[in-house]
Amino acid sequence: MGIGPSTKETTMHHFHDPLVRVVASDPDVDFQGVILVGTPQDNYLKNLVGRRTAFWLEAMRTNGAIISADGWGNSDVDFINTMTEIGDKGISIVGLKFIGKQAGFVVESEHTKFVLDINKSKSGTETEIVGDNNLNEKDAHKALGLLKLKMRKDGQVPK
Amino acid sequence: MNKNTLTINAFSMQDVTIGPKYHITNTSLEIPDHPLFDIDDRLKSIKVKLVDPKDCHFKINTIMDVIPISTKVLGNIGYGMSNTLTGVSVILTGADETGVQLHEFGSSNGYLDEKIKFDTDGTPSSDDTIILIDVTLKSDFEFNRKTCEMVFNSADQFLQPIREELKVMNGRNAAESFEYEDIKHPGKPKVAVVKEVAGQGAMYDNMVFAKEPGGIEKGISIIDMDNMPILLSANEYRDGAIHALV
Repeated sequence: MGIGPSTKETTMHHFHDPLVRVVASDPDVDFQGVILVGTPQDNYLKNLVGRRTAFWLEAMRTNGAIISADGWGNSDVDFINTMTEIGDKGISIVGLKFIGKQAGFVVESEHTKFVLDINKSKSGTETEIVGDNNLNEKDAHKALGLLKLKMRKDGQVPK
Repeated sequence: MNKNTLTINAFSMQDVTIGPKYHITNTSLEIPDHPLFDIDDRLKSIKVKLVDPKDCHFKINTIMDVIPISTKVLGNIGYGMSNTLTGVSVILTGADETGVQLHEFGSSNGYLDEKIKFDTDGTPSSDDTIILIDVTLKSDFEFNRKTCEMVFNSADQFLQPIREELKVMNGRNAAESFEYEDIKHPGKPKVAVVKEVAGQGAMYDNMVFAKEPGGIEKGISIIDMDNMPILLSANEYRDGAIHALV
């Protein structure tokens, strides 16, 4: 498994990225930037890049992060592993990825319940239509809202 | 130059046509229907045509990418000034001469109007003119990173003359101008975005830090960086620091 036509983020998607647009312009958070991390084949490297991501965020004194991915299947391992590494540093973390009826998690953890589904198709499947299941501005607002609640619950911000 | 600020001047293309050469004005764009450079030996052809999203019920090869046309005028990706075209966007499709489609996981070949959802962040607007670049490989090609990168690179080379002309256009004549500042909100919770992207092989890769927004030349593959995390500012992201190869 990998990245199908309906979830893949085109160059145009990155150019107009709704997640960056929403989070960077919200006056209630101090936006730090985007960490771009790949999905290696090798298991040792999968764990390593997740750990390195968590170290970056810890050094940046990050309170909360939103992780998103345009693939599903094998890449769930990277996704959940990176969420766990970030969570273990005491940083609030929520996720956004395609789940639908087709892409249940390959691996589960305490973090999977904080992952929002970006599926838009009625069938809940990889429809092979470009743009059909991409993350949009509504998904970004939902994730940022959830992160704000989670940061409060986790004691990242004074109540 | 203020390195915290990115200005994007948008030139709205009302009239896009095919002609013998590249020519751009404040509101119109003329492009050739084939590359004016020698194409790679592995390629059979590169054909370019203009498409109206409201009238596109015809067969296409798998959609490899949707690409914006933008160029640096001052500074580097993420700060300074960029000129960007609106009203026009690029779709890259590809297959070999026997019909084998260029994709990693699921193909979007079929009727264009059924295989793309217009008006999303990652696809053309239904009011755009689409430049459809269709690349055909010779049948004995090897499906590997080098071949796929060559295809993406050929499309990038086709677009570069547009960027060269766009670069010298006066921002005062732009239809719209946007200024993005890296604003800090001290005292608020610190929040970052983590984007997990493809990095395993052919059609499962991303390029970062090319010379041009959404470009390829001088870009570094995430695979060649062993998928290690890198930090990008919001303005670098907005200015096209990433070219998808998925």
